[in-house]
Parts: sequence; C-alpha cells; structure tokens
Amino acid sequence: MAESVRAALFARLRERSPAPAEPAEIARALATIGYATAARMPHADLHTAFIANVLANKGTLELALDRGAAVRAIGRYLYKRFRTHKLVAGNDPRLAAMPWRDGGVLPRFGAAEPGDAAALSYARLGVAETGAIVTFTGRANPGRNNLLPEDHLVLVNREDVVATLEDAWAKIRIETGAGAWPRGIQFIAGPSSTADVEAQLVLGAHGPCRWHVILVGDTPAQALEQARGELPEA
Amino acid sequence: MVTCLADLMRPSVGFSAIRLLERAGCRVTVPEQQTCCGQPAYNSGEIDAAVPVAQAVIETFEPFDYVVIPSGSCAGMLSHHYPALFEGEWRERALALSAKTWELTRFLTEVALLPAPKRAALEAAVTYHDGCAGLREMGIQQQPRQLLQEQCGVQVQELTENQVCCGFGGTFCARMPEISGKMADDKLNHAVASGAKVLAGGDLGCLLHLAGRAKRRGLDLEIRHIAELLAGNPKGPGIGEGRQ
Amino acid sequence: MKVASQDFLQQAHEALRAKDKVERRDLLGQFMPAARDAAANAYGDFDGLRAHMKRVRGHTTEHLAHYLQQFEEAAVAHGNQVHFAATAEQLNSTVLSICQTHNARRVAKGKSMVTEETGLNELLLKAGLEVLETDLGEYIIQQAGEAPSHIVGPAFHKSLAEVRELFLAKHKLGERALESVSDIVEEARGVLRERFLAADVGIIGANALIAEHGTTMLVTNEGNGDLCANLPPVLIICTTFERLLPRAEDAMALQRLLVRSATGQSHTCYTSFYSGPRREDDVDGPLETHIILLDNKRSDILASDYHEILDCIRCGACLNHCPIYIGVGGHAYGWVYPGPMGSVLTPLLTSLEQSHDLPNACTSCGRCAEVCPANIPLPDLLRDLRQEESAQQLKPARWRRGLRLHAWLLRQPVLYQRLTGWSMSALGLLGKRRGAFRRMPFASGWTSQRDFPAPEAGGTFMRQYAARKRRGGRRG
Ligand code: SF4
Repeated sequence: MAESVRAALFARLRERSPAPAEPAEIARALATIGYATAARMPHADLHTAFIANVLANKGTLELALDRGAAVRAIGRYLYKRFRTHKLVAGNDPRLAAMPWRDGGVLPRFGAAEPGDAAALSYARLGVAETGAIVTFTGRANPGRNNLLPEDHLVLVNREDVVATLEDAWAKIRIETGAGAWPRGIQFIAGPSSTADVEAQLVLGAHGPCRWHVILVGDTPAQALEQARGELPEA
Repeated sequence: MVTCLADLMRPSVGFSAIRLLERAGCRVTVPEQQTCCGQPAYNSGEIDAAVPVAQAVIETFEPFDYVVIPSGSCAGMLSHHYPALFEGEWRERALALSAKTWELTRFLTEVALLPAPKRAALEAAVTYHDGCAGLREMGIQQQPRQLLQEQCGVQVQELTENQVCCGFGGTFCARMPEISGKMADDKLNHAVASGAKVLAGGDLGCLLHLAGRAKRRGLDLEIRHIAELLAGNPKGPGIGEGRQ
Repeated sequence: MKVASQDFLQQAHEALRAKDKVERRDLLGQFMPAARDAAANAYGDFDGLRAHMKRVRGHTTEHLAHYLQQFEEAAVAHGNQVHFAATAEQLNSTVLSICQTHNARRVAKGKSMVTEETGLNELLLKAGLEVLETDLGEYIIQQAGEAPSHIVGPAFHKSLAEVRELFLAKHKLGERALESVSDIVEEARGVLRERFLAADVGIIGANALIAEHGTTMLVTNEGNGDLCANLPPVLIICTTFERLLPRAEDAMALQRLLVRSATGQSHTCYTSFYSGPRREDDVDGPLETHIILLDNKRSDILASDYHEILDCIRCGACLNHCPIYIGVGGHAYGWVYPGPMGSVLTPLLTSLEQSHDLPNACTSCGRCAEVCPANIPLPDLLRDLRQEESAQQLKPARWRRGLRLHAWLLRQPVLYQRLTGWSMSALGLLGKRRGAFRRMPFASGWTSQRDFPAPEAGGTFMRQYAARKRRGGRRG
C-alpha cells in the first residue's frame, strides 16, 4: 500500500508540471530567482550589529580579548550565578585546549544531564542579522547541551561572525562539504521563551532561562556601548 | 456613475457629486440606463449573474472620458473586478473602462481639482471611516482628509483602528447580522470616543449600516457621505435621521 | 478532528455573548497587528521579501515532483525512513505502528497542526499510549480538553486565572500561589521536563522541508520541539509536501517572514535543521527517525484554482487581522484552522457542505491579503468558494433567488427605475419623521441588529435627475 500511495502522489505532482524539466534547467531557473534581501542591520559595523541583536534577543554579552579572558569571564559568570565553578561542555578540541585553570573553572566534558545548571558551547558561527549563534550536534556539542541547562553560555569567535543568514549558509556549506552532514544544525537566538499565556513574554520556557554570549577576539569596548545605545555610532 | 445605494437611498450624494464635479470644471452626465455595478451578486458568488450586469455597465459608459463614482467599493468593482470576469474582447473593453474609472475624492484631488471654496468652515468635529475597498483597492486615504481640510476647513479626528472594516460587507451584513453588528459597534464606539459629532465616509453601504446601528443604539452621531459635506454645508437630516 | 463548522453561526453567537472573551480578543486584535507592522517596517523591504518568497514558491510548485524526489533521496541517504500517507487515517496508523514496533508507552509532541488535522492524539490515546503536548499553549488546551483557538497561540483564549485553576486541578503539587504568568511557565517547565526525559517517542512538525539537503526546518521559541527532536530514542516528523523548498536559504527567507508575521518578533529563539538519526559522531539524538508526508487532499488542491492556499506558512497573521476572527474567535469555526486561511482550508480539506458558512464569514475587506506574507489572495479564494457554494446549491435558496432576480432586474433599467422609484418614494414618505425603520419585510437579517435608514425624501436620484433634465430641457 505504502508504495502505491507514493507512486500515486508522484504521478499527481507530475501532472502539475506537464513537461518535466531537466534538473540542470530547474537549477538554472532557481538561480535566476536568487536569494532574498536580508533584514536591515541595527548598526553598520558587523560586530556592533551582532551584539545589538544578541541583546535585543534578551541575551547577555561580554567581550573577551582571548581565550584566557574568556575563561575568566566564564568563571566570574558561574560564580556570580551559582557560586560554583561547575560546567558541562562538549568534547570540542577548542574547548579542551582552553586554559581552564586560569578561571578556576572545572568543566565536565560530555553531554548535559538533567542536573547540570550550566552548559558551554563553542559556536561555529554568529549571525549579525538575527543575533543568532550556530552549532552542529555531535561530540563537540551534543544537541541537548543547548537545551537542558538553565544557563547556556556560548563562545563565538569574532572572525566567525557573518552578516546575514545567507552568509551563514555559505559557511555551513563549506564546513559540511567534506565530511558527513551533521544530525542537527541549530540556530539559537536567545534564551527559550514563550508568550502562550496572556501573550506575555516569559523567558525560560523549556530550554535555558539565560543565554550568555562571549565574543572572543579584539573587539573595541565601544562596540558594546554603541550596541547598547549608550554611545552614538562613530 | 451614481451608485445604486445613492440612487435609491441618498440622492443628495449623487447631486452633491455632480455639483462638485461641475465646480471642478467637468461636464457631467448620468446615463439614463445605469442601475448598479452588480456587486451584490458578484460578492455572493453568483458570478454568472454578475457578468451580464458588468457588460451592461461597460457598454453604458464607453462613450465617456471619465467615469467618476462616489464610492470606493463600486469604483473598485469596475477597476479591479470587471477585468477579471472576462477574456478576449470583453476583457479589453473592461480594461478600458477600468483605466478611466475614478473614485470621487481621488478624481477631485488628482484629475479635476476643486477651486478654493467661498464659504465659511464647517463648524463640527468630523471623523472619517475609510471604506475597505476604497482604502485597499483604490488607494483612498489621504484624499478625503485633504478635501475636508481644504473645502470645509476641518481636520479629521481619526478613529482608532481606522483600517478595520465596519462590518457592512454587502450581503454579509444580512447573512451574519450578529457578527456584523459587533463590528459596527466597535466602529461606532471608536467614533464616539473620537469626540466627533459627524461621521463621514465615502461609501454609502458602510454608512447606511453604521447609521442603522447608531439609530438602534440611540447614538448622537450625524452620519454623512463626504460628497454632501464637500458640496456645501448640508441642511437636510443625516443618514437615518428624521426631520426634527 | 471532528468537524463542527456547520454550526458556525450558533458557535459565533455563543462566542459573542461571552463578554470577557470578546474583550480579550479585541485586545489581541489591536496588539498583534501593531506588533506585526512594527516588525515588518523595521525589516526594510518586507514586501520585497514577500514577493521573493512568492517567486520561490511558484518555482517549487512548478517542479514539485522533482523537489520531492530530491528531498526523499537525500532524507533516505541520511538514514531517515520516509513514509507517504494519502489520508489522515494513514498518517495516524503509520505513527501508531511505529510506536507499537518500539513498545512505546510515552509520546512527547511538539506543536503540529498536521496532527491536529488528522486527530492523531485521539487514536494514540485510544491505543493506550500516553500522549503529551509540550508546547505550552498546546499543553494547556490538552489539559483543558479543548481545541486550539489560534494556529500560533492555541491557548490565547484562556486567561491567567483560568490556566491557574486548570493547573491547580491537574497538577497534584500541593498548596501554591501560581499568581503570575512566570509561575505558570515555571510549573509547566518542571512538570514537562520529567516527561521529556521519559518519552519513548518524540513527534514534531516541520516548517519547511529542504530539498537539497533532505533536512527539515523547525522554528520555535520555547525549545520544546527541539527537546522532542533530541531526547527520545525515536523521532517522527509529521508534515506535508507543500512545505518543500529548494534551498536552505529559501527556508531562511520563510523564517524571516514567519516570525515577523506571526508574533512581531525579529527573530525566533530556535531555528533547527534536522537531518536524521544519530551519527557516528553523535552522543545524543534519536536512534531512528521517520518522516511522514501527508497528502490529505493537498494534491487535489494543487490541481485546483485554490492552489495558492498551499503557500500558507501558518503564521496566523490573517487571523489577527480579520475582524470576524477577532469577533468570534477560533472555536466558532469548528475545526482546526480558523480565520481567513481556515475558511479557505476547511471547505477544501473537509467538505464545503459541512462548512459553507465559513467562506461567507468575510466582508472582502482585504486586510488579510494585505498582510499575508505568502501573498495569498484570500478574499478572492473565499469568493470563489462562495461561487462554488452557489453552484452546489448549498446557499439558502431564498438568498440565491433574490440575488439572481436583483441581477436580472439591473439589466432592465426602465422597469428597475420604475419599481425603485415607486417604492423608494413610498418608503421615504413613511420614514420621513423617524428617519429609519425598526422592522422591514424581507430584511430581518438587517433589522435584527440595525434600523433600516429611510430613503431620503423626494424619490430616487434617477427620478429626480430625469425630472430636472426635463425642466432644464424646457428651459433651454
Ligand atoms: S494565509 Fe497567509 S497570513 Fe494566513 S496563516 Fe497563512 S501565510 Fe499567514
């Protein structure tokens, strides 16, 4: 039965396009349509725009010059929130190589478990247009690490921030081109939220209640102030 | 073209429109055989009944340079929906009619401009209801406001939610009276809240429906077609009002 | 789901009588359009984006067989099992048999309009499975035993106090205040978290199927869909072929339209692309994934003049902008999809006979089409359905005869003008004092809610005009 349902559907769909075009022809037709125009950016500067959108998404963000600074920032965050230095992080070689001791942080590498309060991901990309970060599921970042903990901390390298969603996919195509396609590609833009009761926005629906992004690299401090609207744009 | 509702229910809209057009320098004729644009049948899905009505309208108005209608929805019917009813030669004729069809206030602000008035400003607070077809099909929004300003010296006191339908909808208002009544109430409540004494509009359908509801509720609102206001300070009773 | 659209008028009547609910909806009707407008304006060229999407969809529809095949091949290569279901029953039984193969007991569901359409939960529950809706809105109405009232916010009709009562009754958690919306969300989070972790099967929908990669896109804010997709050992994605798009970039364009049109947000918290079961490199995720593609008359719609409704991305903007939906609420429509899109879809997916009132619940005001991100000409489709209603003789005969007689009369100008001239003069005289009638023969629909304004005194325009011309002629 299943096979006949499939065949019947395909037959009906083919009726719709009487002259079945060659794949190359279809691809050409599609290419002429091109891509959409992205959303207007809140700032001309790429990183300022990214920061502004992370904040607009109800995330928090800090700047870290290098990995050492990032570790220290993570340590401060955890201590302030939980009075601990415990953290779960995926088996990402980039994370393994961080100078954890400098920040007094004690990560456990692996998948998040129900009791884990905070998880850390090293994002593949940041997207300025939406203030999103991108992760792939896998050993380096198990899918549940993005979802189970109360607090989700994310490192993103300054040079991995792209402007638009199309730019993000251009990079994803390169990264996935060689190896196998990951099980999940997740764009995350903010702590989980719901407005299902009284249309009132509440953070921490099913996923994390707090989302903290650390932008790693040499970003001038004014970028953060400009993104916050505290400093006029240069 | 004088709409069927103006013909039957509110002739002064037709005469006001003629006066305005003449004031703007036009030679105006209302052909004897005109009746109605056929919207009731068309909107209710009786398309085959609407087609011959449309053909009659197309033929009737072929000799004229412009067809000006004091209604956004009838103008929308002629300009947007007639061409979609036909193919071939009739479609061409429908398109020709479409190209020369104008809603009154737009015509008076874009084609034949009204001279400055020689009378005193209207002394009443006026609010304006935008008919949906006028607003969305004919691009009527700023024209009536501009004309009320220039001709009557009044600044429209806007309704909240002024882009929302009043619930007339042709046969809808009789087929689903309860829902339609709720929508009329929303509109009338906004009108009362605006502080205006006069509720003006460009479509008699909406206005008759709103006037009927206002009367039922005993609201103190004078409801008039914009042509009446523009043509001169009207003396007769508003829509649905008796002689005091 | 059972169809109750034949009782639209009665249901609307009841909805209009519940004044507190009317007020809630009026607020929704002011708040949501304002949010959508602000988001669309902030975007930049939002109409350009809509036009772009229309082109992409047009192209995809033209080559649907090609893209469906591409999708299927890629999805199978990723290790998915792809099923086809012609009817709602076939989808439901496919899901059930997958659950039974795995001896599943607990099912966690993300929001899926497709499974609302097929009434999946009912079947699974009957088969003894525990089915849990995890989207907060869906969870609330599931607990209350109700149907969704809105395709985006299924529980928009419920007040905080009602949800509080419901939770106090359903969750045996002892004394607690549950005073704020945050309290409610926190409690639901706690209750549902356990159940996510214990679920044997996760069921989700898809916002788009990406043909080139064989992946499905899921857009949520709560993250519940992603938990369903990542925690249980078996994942079932219930979807339909019209979600197909050629490229990931096209799905992104759709997401841009969707979030702004649905909630007025400029982003959504989670936008995920799932490709299949656990990979060698994965330490979590489902071991087995199924994609079920439901037809349920969609291939008929595709071949009909109504095919544009298949471009609908389920954003709910047409609901929020429809004064009739805002007036009567989603439940009055009697099935899964309410508002303008529902008034098109319900007759097509169920039967016009059962639901022919719905296409009439429209004033052709055009506000829905003005905001529909998929540029679907909803008022035109509704008018076409009204035409079909006439053709199938479903319209009240009295109405039909009246309309046709009127249209005929319009083509007999002399007779028409004589008849109207006479009757309007009479009415004008009768109504001169009061200016309106409280009752009017043959117009009970009108006068049930309003007075019938009397025609202006002096006779019809055409009569007066003719008289003036005669006088003018004599003078000249
Ligand atoms: S018809 Fe258009 S506006 Fe309505 S839900 Fe679908 S996409 Fe959104």
